[in-house]
This record gives sequence, structure tokens and C-alpha cells, in this order.
Amino acid sequence: MKLNLNLARCLLIGMCILTLMLQTGCRSKDEIEDLSIYVGMGLDEAKKTELETKLDKLGTHEIKKNLITFTLQIVEKQSEAKGGKAGSDQNSKPYINVSETGDSLFQLIREFTSQMERPVIGHHLKVIVINEQLAGHFSMHQLLDFFLRDNDIRPSTMVLMSSGPARKTLEAKGNSIIPSFRLMGMIDNRYRTLKIIPPMTLSTLQGKMHAKSSYLLQNVIAAEGEVKFSGAAVIKGNTQKFRGLLSEEELLGVTWLTGKGKGGLVKSYDEKTKQIITYEVKTMKSKIRSHIDGDDVSFDVDIESEGRLIEDWTTSSAPIDDEFIERAERAAEKEITRLIQLGLYKIQKNYKTDVVGFGTRLNIEHPKQWQKIKQDWDNVFSEAPITYKVKLNITDMGAKKSH
Amino acid sequence: MNINPKDRINTIQAAVIVSNFILGSGILTLSRATAEKAGTPDVWISVLIGGLIAIAAGVVMATLNKSYPEQTVYQYNRIIVGRWFGGFIGLLFVCYFCMTAAYQVRTLTEVTGLFLLEGTPPWASVMVFMWVSLYLMVGGINPIARLFELILPVTIIIYLLVTLMGLRILDPNNLRPVLGQGIMPVLAGLKATVFSFTGLEVILILTAFMKHPNKSVKAVVYGIVMPMGIYLITAVMAIGVLSVDGVVTRTWPTLDLVRSFELTGLIFERFESLLLVIWIMQIYSTFTIAIYAASLGLSQLFNVKIQKCMYALLPIVFIIWAIPKNINELSAFGDFIGNISLYLFGIVPIVLLLLSKWKKGSTEETDEAES
Repeated sequence: MKLNLNLARCLLIGMCILTLMLQTGCRSKDEIEDLSIYVGMGLDEAKKTELETKLDKLGTHEIKKNLITFTLQIVEKQSEAKGGKAGSDQNSKPYINVSETGDSLFQLIREFTSQMERPVIGHHLKVIVINEQLAGHFSMHQLLDFFLRDNDIRPSTMVLMSSGPARKTLEAKGNSIIPSFRLMGMIDNRYRTLKIIPPMTLSTLQGKMHAKSSYLLQNVIAAEGEVKFSGAAVIKGNTQKFRGLLSEEELLGVTWLTGKGKGGLVKSYDEKTKQIITYEVKTMKSKIRSHIDGDDVSFDVDIESEGRLIEDWTTSSAPIDDEFIERAERAAEKEITRLIQLGLYKIQKNYKTDVVGFGTRLNIEHPKQWQKIKQDWDNVFSEAPITYKVKLNITDMGAKKSH
Repeated sequence: MNINPKDRINTIQAAVIVSNFILGSGILTLSRATAEKAGTPDVWISVLIGGLIAIAAGVVMATLNKSYPEQTVYQYNRIIVGRWFGGFIGLLFVCYFCMTAAYQVRTLTEVTGLFLLEGTPPWASVMVFMWVSLYLMVGGINPIARLFELILPVTIIIYLLVTLMGLRILDPNNLRPVLGQGIMPVLAGLKATVFSFTGLEVILILTAFMKHPNKSVKAVVYGIVMPMGIYLITAVMAIGVLSVDGVVTRTWPTLDLVRSFELTGLIFERFESLLLVIWIMQIYSTFTIAIYAASLGLSQLFNVKIQKCMYALLPIVFIIWAIPKNINELSAFGDFIGNISLYLFGIVPIVLLLLSKWKKGSTEETDEAES
């Protein structure tokens, strides 16, 4: 009996020691210093970089079709510290861009492993920029499939389009900017301008892609290391391919239709004096109503906005009276109507894509009718009569009371 | 059964155990499974109705228990339908609990293998998991209940915090139209939601341990309402953020819901690891109670010590755990378990209840006749 007890005790001690082995922590850890974190990605039509052509000449490579040139923006290890210390090593950029040409995106990403000492990881990917020509050849399903499937890349990643090479939007002039973070920061500026549309993340996109609905993606252009959000790319529902570009004015019109602007301005000209009057948008609301008459669908849109008179070039010493405010409101309404006309014509007649969400409204108000026509929605939409009314309300004139 | 007085649990603890057993792998997949069947944003209505059905089933089970206080289903079903057939049903229950345990742990390894511990061999994480669970259940029902009492509030608070942070990116239009295509899609989604409430059957066993067995109805209703609330929020948030079309394309929609936003400026930017932590705790509690219920069944059927059954069941569960070859087989396995539970716990308790009432009625009649 005594022996048994001892044996049990020995066993217990042995097991305790065994469990210690399980306590040593992470089994398959990767130290952050041994990883390359990529924060931005650019997808372009195949065009090999100089380095790639040289490497190709020297080495052999797998059989792959050259369809896509893929650019990764990798944050340099020390960049965080560098940002803090002004005047330290100013000659190196805080990021590096590397490119690879081929077809399967995952193959391309893994290709970097044979070029760099530290493997790349996607946990911190912030933004994907897709070239518009490329998106014209391949559907979003094909281009984004890997990102939606991968377990590192988060669905909160933003997707942007570029009418120029996407690679260029991931470059910056100075040595203090990480271009992907700059793009992210610019998206946050929505409360100052109507030209930036609500950010499209992978998680929103996949719903739209699966529903085969049309949508807008912010267009970004780049030159000499500077970037600008300019207009938006239209992705057509059925094909999920790039359909065309909306100019800045057309985009403004579409934004007014959706009522999803956070803040911005309307510049108009006073009818009487032909001088500039600028209206600052404080709130913006749009109400789309759908009507069905047999198989015919029609919409009307009520747009309401409140704001401030922020700039006024008319020279008159008289204080601003109701009549002038009325005139200013009419002028701004006229300008908005013009923008809407432009935008609506483009999306409805040229592109035949419902990027505003008329279909969603129809689904909410007349779900039965929507089920019947949703397969052919973009065509039905292109024929649907749409009327709109704009109502502006200037609530104050800022700190200055007179003209 | 002679139960040690210290093995008694109170009504709240019973409710907590029911909640913890229900909340399991379903949290992460419920919205997809339902949206696939329903195809409309009315998933939350399906959850609501599914919950009500679950409550009805729970009430039936609890009422059945009331007639046999101090006894578990393994014992009294032998009284109702006879020794051999009752034993057979008891064995089916044991198999069911083992499969549930294996299924839950397998789901756990799939998720952790994808999002948390890529590269760790699944058996390593599972073994540790099972041993820790064994450690808890060897202690009996009371330690289990007390631990669950700690786990549940933590789960609820963190879960609400994490999912409700998604409100920022919720688009109400994704949840509309309500009942746009009538009630049929809602009913189609019901099956999936009823599945997610399986686990309430544990009340068949719990009542025997309760200090106040006559309050078992209350315990089971409270125990179901809690997960129902959590499921409702999950359904509304997942559909509202990802839209129906988005949800059906995702393997783990609730995780994707949390991965869809980042809050900059806070200590944490990302919350999926928090969600995974509480989810793992829930799987742990589901697993523990399932094995406990199965072992209790074995020990009462064959008159062996319950601890021995626990040790014996672990390897069996481990083998079942390893059976599904891929994730599709796993979800087929999950559906299979769901179907079994529907028959085992939807129909059997009703039959048992009717039989016991009829038997009682007839004995009373004979009593009257004799007197």
C-alpha cells in the first residue's frame, strides 16, 4: 500500500513536470522583427519592373501567365521610431515597394519569400488599390477572392481604384510619409468635402459582389509622388467589372442623390450680380421613394440640406436680408440640380448602373416587385423615370452679418 | 440516486449551466446557417421564433422532470418505458452528448487553426483543452456550476461590447425589408435557429441536482432567454453590417463582423481575439457539461463510478473529433447532430411525459378502485 502511494506520488510529480512543458508559451511564434508587414497593395496590368526583367534573365521561373503586376508596400522596421525623431536618417524612405508579375495573387505574395529575408504578413493591410484597366479585364470576384479568403487580411481593408498605375499611388515624395497611411487618412476627410465617398471595405464589398449590385469605388490619381481623390469608378453589377469613371462633378451629383455626404460645399453664382456665393453643407438628407404602376417603376427623390453662407463676393454694404438669402438658396439649389442632372445621366443612360441604391429602396418598399425584376435591374433602372427636388435652407451667415 | 448534499445547485446555477451549454459553436455560424436557408434579412425573426420553440421544448422537459425529482432522465426513463428500452434511450443520449462534445471541440480547432494558432497541430491544443476540462468535471457538478457562473457574465459583457462596436458600420437598409417575401423564408430559417438552441436538454439531468427541483421550468426558461438575446444581437449585427449576401459567403460571419472594423485610438484596435477568447470559454463549458452528462449517463446505466466514465470517454470523444475530414464534413456532422437532437429531445420527452401522465393516471385509478 505504501509503495502504491509512493508510486502515485511519483506519477503525479512526473505529470506536473510534463505539464510544465506545455507552459512554455507560443508554439509557432513569429517575432515581429522577423516579419515584413505590408500595409498597402496595388494591382496593375502586367508590366514588369526593371528589376524583375533582370532577375528573369538571370534565373528560371515557373510557368505563369503575366496578367497582373502586383505591388506590395512594406513598412520598414524602424519607421515608427524614425517618425518620432525629427532629423534622423532622412535619406531612406519609411517604406519599400516591391513588385511581382504573374497571375495567382497568392503565388505572387509567396514569391517574395524567395526575395526577402523576412516573410511578408498581411495582418495590417490597410488599403488595396486596383488599376481600372485591370478591373475592366477581370471581375472583382477574381481580383479580390484571395483577400476575402485569406485569414490574415482583415475585412476592414479599404478598396480604392486608380485610373493611372496603382503602383504610383503607393509612392510618396518625401521621406516621412507612408503612402498607404496617407490614403487612409484622406478617406477620413469626408466631413470636409463631398468628393470623398463612404469608404468601401472588403466586408461591404463582398455583400455587394455576391448580390451582383453596382457600386462606386473611390478613384485616386497620382503624379510626382502626390495623390488626389478624383471622381469615382463605377463597377457594373452583372459583370463586377469596371464600367467607367465618374468625373468629380458627376460624383457630386450622385453624392447629393444618395444624401450620404458628411460635409462640404456648393459654389454658385448670384443671379443678379454674377458673383460667387458659397454654401457650406452642414446636413444633407435624401429620401428616395419608389412607385410602381404595373411593371413600370419610377422614383422621386427629395433632397434637403441645411447649411451656412460661408463666402459671398457680392459687394454691397447693405445687411443680408431675407430676399438675398432666398436668392442664395435658389442659386445653390440650381447648382445642385445641375450636378445631379450630370451624374444621373451618366449612371443611368451611359453606364446603366444603379450605384445610388434605387434598387435597395424598391426592395424595401415593394419587395415582391423587386424579386421579379432584380435579375435585370440595371436595364430596368436605365429606363425608369426619376424626378428630384432639392430644398436648401441657409440657417446662418457665419460671423459676418452683412455682405 | 443518492446525491451528496454538497452536489446541490441552486436555480440560477441551473439556468447558467443551460445557457452555457446552449452557447457554443452556434454563435459564430448561426447567422450564415440561417441566412442560407431564409435568404432574406428576416433572420432575426427566425431566431426569435426558434427561441420560443426552444422554450416550449424546455418547459416540456422540465415538467417531465418534476414528476421524478432527484432522478435524472437516465433513471426515470427506465421506470417509464421499461428497463431495457429505457436503457437503450439512455445510451442514445450518451452517444449524442459525446458527439456534441466532439463536434464543439472540432469547430474550436478549425477556428483556432485558422485565426489564432496557425501551425500548432490541432491535437496539441485539443488535448490540453480536454485535460483542463477533465480537471473541472472530476470535481462534480458544483465546481462546474460555480465556474460557469464566472464565465457567463464575462462572456455576455465582452460579447456585447465587441459586437455592439460594430453599430458604427451597421447599415439599417441591410435589415430591410422586414417580411418582404412573407413568412415562408422565416420558417425556412427556423431549422437552423432551432439547431442552435440544442443544449437545453441538459435540464433533463440538471433537475436531479437542483435544490428546488420544482423551479426547473424557471431555470430552463431563463437559461434559454439568455442565449436567445445573444443570438438576436448576433443576427441583427451580422446581417446589418455584412448584409444577407455578405453573410452567406462567409465561413465564420460573426468573426468577420468583428474583423470588419478597427477602432483607432483605443488600447485595442482589434477585437476578434477578445471574441475568440470568450468563445473558447463557451466551447469549454459546452464540452465540459456534455462529457459530464454522458459520463453521468454511463455511470447510472452501468453502476460504475462517474470519474471512471469520464476518463474512459475522453479518448472516445477524441476519436470522434478526428473523424470529419474537412470543414464540409464537419458541418454535415453538425447537421447530423442537430437532426438527432431534434428527434431525441423534441419527440422523446413529449412521449415520455405523456406516458408518465398516463401511467400515473392509471395507477391513481387502480388506487381508487382498490380503496
